[in-house]
Amino acid sequence: MPILNKKTALLFLPLVLFCMLFCHCKKDVERIYEVNNIDLLPPNTIKNKNKTNEQYVSILYANLFQKALSANQLFEISQCLQSKGDQVLAREVLISNLMNKKNVIIPTDSVMRLDIDKFITETYIRFLVRRPTEAEKTYFRNYVKSNANVTPELIYFSFALSDEYMFY
Amino acid sequence: MRRREFIKKTGMATAAAFAVPYLLPSGRLFAKTGGLMAKHVIYVMFAGGVRQQESVLQRYLDDSQNLPYGGNIMNNMLNGAAPNQKIVYGTGAGGLSPIPAILSQSLQSQGTLFPEVRSGSAGHYTGLNELLQGSSALTQGLKQKPVNPTIFEYLRRHSGLPASKVWFVGNGINGSIPLLNYSEHSNYGPTYGANFFAPLVTFSDKGKKYFADAKVYHPQEQLAPMYEMKYFLDNSFTNAGKPIPNLGNTEAEKQDIKLFMKSMFAKTDAGTIAMPPISDNGDAMNIGYACELMQWFKPAFTVVNLGGVDACHSNFTKYLSALHRADHAVGHLWNYIQTQIPEMAGNTIIMASPECGRNLKPNGIKDLNNWYAYDHSDPNALRIFTLMAGSGVQSNLLVGSESNPKGLSTDNVLTIADIFGIKNDVLGAGLVNGNSMSLFDRI
Repeated sequence: MPILNKKTALLFLPLVLFCMLFCHCKKDVERIYEVNNIDLLPPNTIKNKNKTNEQYVSILYANLFQKALSANQLFEISQCLQSKGDQVLAREVLISNLMNKKNVIIPTDSVMRLDIDKFITETYIRFLVRRPTEAEKTYFRNYVKSNANVTPELIYFSFALSDEYMFY
Repeated sequence: MRRREFIKKTGMATAAAFAVPYLLPSGRLFAKTGGLMAKHVIYVMFAGGVRQQESVLQRYLDDSQNLPYGGNIMNNMLNGAAPNQKIVYGTGAGGLSPIPAILSQSLQSQGTLFPEVRSGSAGHYTGLNELLQGSSALTQGLKQKPVNPTIFEYLRRHSGLPASKVWFVGNGINGSIPLLNYSEHSNYGPTYGANFFAPLVTFSDKGKKYFADAKVYHPQEQLAPMYEMKYFLDNSFTNAGKPIPNLGNTEAEKQDIKLFMKSMFAKTDAGTIAMPPISDNGDAMNIGYACELMQWFKPAFTVVNLGGVDACHSNFTKYLSALHRADHAVGHLWNYIQTQIPEMAGNTIIMASPECGRNLKPNGIKDLNNWYAYDHSDPNALRIFTLMAGSGVQSNLLVGSESNPKGLSTDNVLTIADIFGIKNDVLGAGLVNGNSMSLFDRI
């Protein structure tokens, strides 16, 4: 006696045909992985918020004196800054005043020239909260080496007055 | 090409050559459209809300306290006899001695008075904005920079004035005063803004603490490399945030401003600031520093703001005293220009307008003299005056009256533009009040 009779075999035929049509081996798709184009920006572009006068002053004071500014002093300095129209000039005058204080903490010229790369890296971290790029390090290294008048104080001054320092 | 066509095209090309903007050596984009009436203008935003009744109407206590004593307490600015009784606004105990006039001839007789002008606002900041923007500052926020260009920007952009020739001397840093030196308008803004000082803060004890002891760096050996490094850092920085406002002071101008500050700290210490004879309030002291600033920079345009009169919210006696001193300070300012600054004497125009008036009815607060105080919020607070005098201004002229108002507070911007020959440029910008006119055109 056959396992399947003719009627039953006819019933299974569509299933067999379906399996033959759709359930078979497929050729592997060859995938190619690529990288999307993106604009490369310098590491400082994440700083896009202007510091307020209060933020600027308290950070500047901490950077120069390695200690916090009192609330009273912060209020007074902010008022003084507001009383001048040219804010860049006001900050310049303020920095040159702070530089005149005895307890400002700045490395000596000889310490800077002993290891310029280290000084530059530390200055970038102190003021701009990031490491310098190789190009930046090279610029400052060459600039310091070729200019005897450039002191750590002037470098600190330029960092404190830079546009990047106005942002966080 | 046919002859007619050739002439037509040549004519159009010639017209275009005149019409197309070009850069002048001064840096301005367009040629001026008119001539200069004066080389310098001093614009006094007078005093912090002045009631018509006690100023141009000279009613003293008659219209405010129901006491029958009228008289003029602004003897430098206005013609008219002083009150003869109930004197409280002078010097000494009880303010019994009025301050003698500095000017032998009042500014009113030297110039033109518009005694009944309309302000668009009964508030200080909006009123000040109208005086500086020439537009109805109806959408102006109170802690917002001017929405439309200020006269500082019009002058710097269309006259090509450098930053150190345009100044705003504020009476303090409260009430958003430091915001007024330039607008947030995209076609103008900080590049054309005015230099600003609030001398009573800058040169105060705290200013001295943080500004006076500035280290003096050698311009070539120290400042030059410092700036060079700063510019390197700036070039390495891609600013993804708001641009840093820059008034466009050159390095030389910055150096000059620093020297001016040094000089002011030294003069403040030595007590040799060119103060008015009586300088016992903030307005008088502010004018003293304004005189020094004009002596140093010889600005083409200076705005001085006074605000002591606002004591009227709670103390009418103090208001009278402050009004008398504001007048004294303006008299000193004008006298100082004419006698101490030869470069400005004879070619300067002074303008003065309150930013707003004060109410008709008192607020119920009484001072030690039992006199009522006045706020500023009703239609009477929209009543102000404008006084101008100096080079080319018609003398002894009165335009309008209490029953016949002439002029708007927003006229002042077009008037100053008219003096500097840029009225059409300002009108062309299309941002001033459509009803405004130069006061010279209202005469």
